[in-house]
Amino acid sequence: MSAVIEIAGLRKTFHTLRQGRRVAVDGFDMLVEAGQVHGFLGPNGSGKTTTLRALLGLVRADSGRMRVLGADSPERLPEVAGRVGAIVESPQFFGNFTAHRTLRLLAVAGGVPTGRVDEVLEQVGLRERGEERVKGYSLGMKQRLAVASALLKNPELLILDEPANGLDPAGIREMRDLTRSLAASGVTVLLSSHILAEIQLICDHVTIVSRGRRVAYGRVDEVLAGFDQHQWQVRVAEPERAAQLLGRAGLSVTGQAEHLVVTGVENPETISRTLGEQGLWVRELIPLRPDLESVFLELTGGHGPVAVPRQVDGAPAHDGVIDLDVSDGREVDA
Amino acid sequence: MNLVRAELERLAARRFVQLMVVLLAVAFAVTVVTTLGGSHRPSAVELSRAQSQAAQEVQRLELAHDRCVQIKAGTVTPDENDYVPRDCAQIDPARSEQLPTASDYLSGVFVFAKEAEPLLYFLIAFLALFGFLVGASYIGADLNSGGVVNLLLWRPRRPTVFAAKLGTLLGGVLGLSALASVAYLGAFWLIGQASGLTGRMGGEFWASLGAVWVRGLVLVLLAAALGFAMATLGRHTSAALGTVAAYVVVWELGARLVFQILQVARPDRFMLSSYLGAWLAGEVRFWDDSACGAGISGFCDGSYTLGWPSGLVVLVALTGALVAAAFAVFRRRDLI
Repeated sequence: MSAVIEIAGLRKTFHTLRQGRRVAVDGFDMLVEAGQVHGFLGPNGSGKTTTLRALLGLVRADSGRMRVLGADSPERLPEVAGRVGAIVESPQFFGNFTAHRTLRLLAVAGGVPTGRVDEVLEQVGLRERGEERVKGYSLGMKQRLAVASALLKNPELLILDEPANGLDPAGIREMRDLTRSLAASGVTVLLSSHILAEIQLICDHVTIVSRGRRVAYGRVDEVLAGFDQHQWQVRVAEPERAAQLLGRAGLSVTGQAEHLVVTGVENPETISRTLGEQGLWVRELIPLRPDLESVFLELTGGHGPVAVPRQVDGAPAHDGVIDLDVSDGREVDA
Repeated sequence: MNLVRAELERLAARRFVQLMVVLLAVAFAVTVVTTLGGSHRPSAVELSRAQSQAAQEVQRLELAHDRCVQIKAGTVTPDENDYVPRDCAQIDPARSEQLPTASDYLSGVFVFAKEAEPLLYFLIAFLALFGFLVGASYIGADLNSGGVVNLLLWRPRRPTVFAAKLGTLLGGVLGLSALASVAYLGAFWLIGQASGLTGRMGGEFWASLGAVWVRGLVLVLLAAALGFAMATLGRHTSAALGTVAAYVVVWELGARLVFQILQVARPDRFMLSSYLGAWLAGEVRFWDDSACGAGISGFCDGSYTLGWPSGLVVLVALTGALVAAAFAVFRRRDLI
């Protein structure tokens, strides 16, 4: 498969009078191939939006190499801009314009046939409300309009930064279906979101960023498999005796209130045979697979003490180390 | 071309632009109505009396000039009522640019030839304000609201977007200004025809009015570009408004006061308003307090002038520098 987005060694530092120098992206790498629905995950302030802005030429990178649809960005971005639809954070639109007019002006500016406006309004579910002024729209409707503006170009690559922001559950489901149908039609989608369950449902690949650096990437199932501890939840009539038997068989067992958790067992047959041979019959045997949320939280230092509010991802990472210090109180806005 | 078309439509659809156009129309309507209400077509008797008064005044001027020449020649002794300048040509009616005419002696009659220039100055002042405010808000609101980001996602060529926006602004403002001034002067010419007098409108009149009009349109464009550049640099409409307010208070008022206290020679040379006036009026004359100080006896002309060329150079240089700076900043700025 050909690379649609390639980022290598991207670095961006912001300098402000009040906060001084702050590294937003620190040697970040990313590869998105054609046809993928690629999730882009990271805590607040980890550099997701800065990365997308740099990729789209809105922010000047300090160093690094970026390519979009084979063209160096930002130098040759204009050559491929007509094939890339993007929304970055929550785009603002003129409140006094209707959605239809907003999209028509974008279409005119971009040389897209204005007949496409009605199609995308239909696609995002705003057909009936297209002639209303944007200032009367809810956050979710504005988000739909933003997605419509990204779809206007009939893009080969769609970059969506938090597209589910402000959407109700039905809207989130519609957005999921829309993303799937676009992916099915061959559009490559890069999706940044905080809703991890959505990413897991929609995306086939994922890149996780923390403190400006990539900390995990690959197929979603492979990333999850990398964190699979082969744990099993076991329910039996005599848990204490069962724990002793499994322990004698060399298995790692931890006791819970109503069940046992056995770790490091690839084949569950080992558990049922060990217990069955001693007359203990397994009532329940459930695999404990990692989900994206647990992986994300582990990678990004999100497993903080319950009583301490977790702070946003502000400081640059050290080489190969995932900093789990959650008491850093600095606030960032990138 | 598509970008310019879209930008022109966005510019025209802006509430602020529409509000300013409505204000212009209201001011226009009020001026026309009050002028119409305060003017009438002069009767033959009124006209004859005014012509006679004008003729008498011309005759009085001629007599004063003749008497001046005679006094200079020594054939007549001057009395206390005589005004005798160094050169009698100064009061020669034959050389006068504006001799008294009948319209000067008509009361309650709108005379287009006499009123056209002040009316045009009023319109230019309004349009310059309009250009500055629209220029500043056009880019300021777009930068602040994310409109520029939206546009750059579609057309990721910053120089093109900057040029398209500025070009659209200047083109739009120029078109509106040209239309408004033609409609404005046309309406008052019609009032002169229907309910007053058009007055003496020779080639000299039209040349003079045309020069003011052209200089006025240039000023309106410079004001629009200045507002656009300031708001681009400051990323907000209010940056442009604040800069102008600060300049007026700190420099035009504050520094002028300091110059007076320090008795700096010709302080008007350092004020932008002097060059603005020079450009618009063609020439402005200032008095130099230090020119006729101690040690000078007899007649001393302490005045000095600033002409429109120096006004144009200063205004274009300032605007050009700010637009260039805005362009450079816009090209490199991180849009976050």
